[in-house]
Amino acid sequence: MQYWINHNGVQSGPMDLDGLKEMGLTSSAYVWHEGLTDWVKITQLPELQGLYDIPVGTPVEPQPVENISTADASQPTPPAAAEPGEAIQGQPYQQPSQPYQQPSQPYRQPVAGEPCPPTNLAWAIITTVLCCLPAGVVAIVYALKVTNKYNEGDIEGAKRASEIGAWWCIASIILGILTMPLVSMISSLATSGLQ
Amino acid sequence: MRRTLVIILALAAIIVGCFIYYAFDPSSSTLFPQCTFLSLTGYKCPGCGSQRAIHALLHGDLVEAFKYNALLLIAISWIGLCLYAESQRTRNPRLYMRLNAPLLIWLFLALTLLWWLLRNIFNW
Repeated sequence: MQYWINHNGVQSGPMDLDGLKEMGLTSSAYVWHEGLTDWVKITQLPELQGLYDIPVGTPVEPQPVENISTADASQPTPPAAAEPGEAIQGQPYQQPSQPYQQPSQPYRQPVAGEPCPPTNLAWAIITTVLCCLPAGVVAIVYALKVTNKYNEGDIEGAKRASEIGAWWCIASIILGILTMPLVSMISSLATSGLQ
Repeated sequence: MRRTLVIILALAAIIVGCFIYYAFDPSSSTLFPQCTFLSLTGYKCPGCGSQRAIHALLHGDLVEAFKYNALLLIAISWIGLCLYAESQRTRNPRLYMRLNAPLLIWLFLALTLLWWLLRNIFNW
C-alpha cells in the first residue's frame, strides 16, 4: 500500500510504511491512500499506529514490508484540491504562491518541504543578555546563518549551523555558570585583601 | 509528557529566580555573581547590568531598569515572542519563519553590537 502525506501543510508521497516511519510524523499529519475519498487524520488509520510521534533518536526497526517500485506510471494520485481541514493554517514553507501542487507524477522523495532547523535565537539572546561572556553574540550569528542557508535551499548547511549555534549557547551557559562565581570570589578576596 | 516536564521545571526556575531577584538587591549584595568579561577586560559586555535591571523591573521601575541595561527590556520581549512562536510552530509555521527572518536577526545583532560599543564609549 502506498501512502500520501500532508504534514504541517506540506504534501509528500507516495511512500510505503518504512518511508512513513522515517518521516518523523506527528499525530497532526493527514494521510491518503487509494480507496479513500478524502484525507484522514493519521490517527484514524489503525495500520499506521506506532508510525508517528516517535521520539527522536529511536532506531527504526526494519520491518518486512512489501516493496513496491515508486516509479510506476499507473500510480494513483491523491484527491484534487486537497485541503485537509485544519491541517493548513500556515502555508508550505517554500512555495507561498501555490500552496498545493498536485503531483503530476509520483515523487521520488519528499517534496522540498523539510522544515527549517531550529535557529536557537531565543537561547542566543538569553545567553547574550545573561551570561556575560559574549559567546551569545556568536550564537546569534549562527542563527542568522541557519535561516540564510535554509532560504538558499541548503538544508544540510542549515542543520550544521543550527547545531554549532546550539553548542555556542551551551558553552556560553556552562562557561558563565563556572566562571562567574569564581571571578566574583577572586575579586571579593582581592578587595578584602586590600583593606 | 517530557515537554510538559521541561516547561514546568523552567517555570519553577523562573519563579524562584524572580523571587530571589525581587528580594535581594544585586547592587548592594555581594552574593550575586559578577560579569567575567568585565572583570577580565575592564570593558562592559552587552549583558552587564542585567541583574540590577531585573531587580528594578520586578519592582516595577522601568526607567531604572532601562538605565542599568537598555538592551534587556528589548531582549526580554524578543525572547518571549521567539518562545511563543516556537510553541506555536506546528500550528503557525509562518510566524516562526517571520520572526527568524534574516533581516530581523540582523537587526538584533546590529542592535547588540551597537549597544556594546556605545555603552563602553559613553559609560552607560
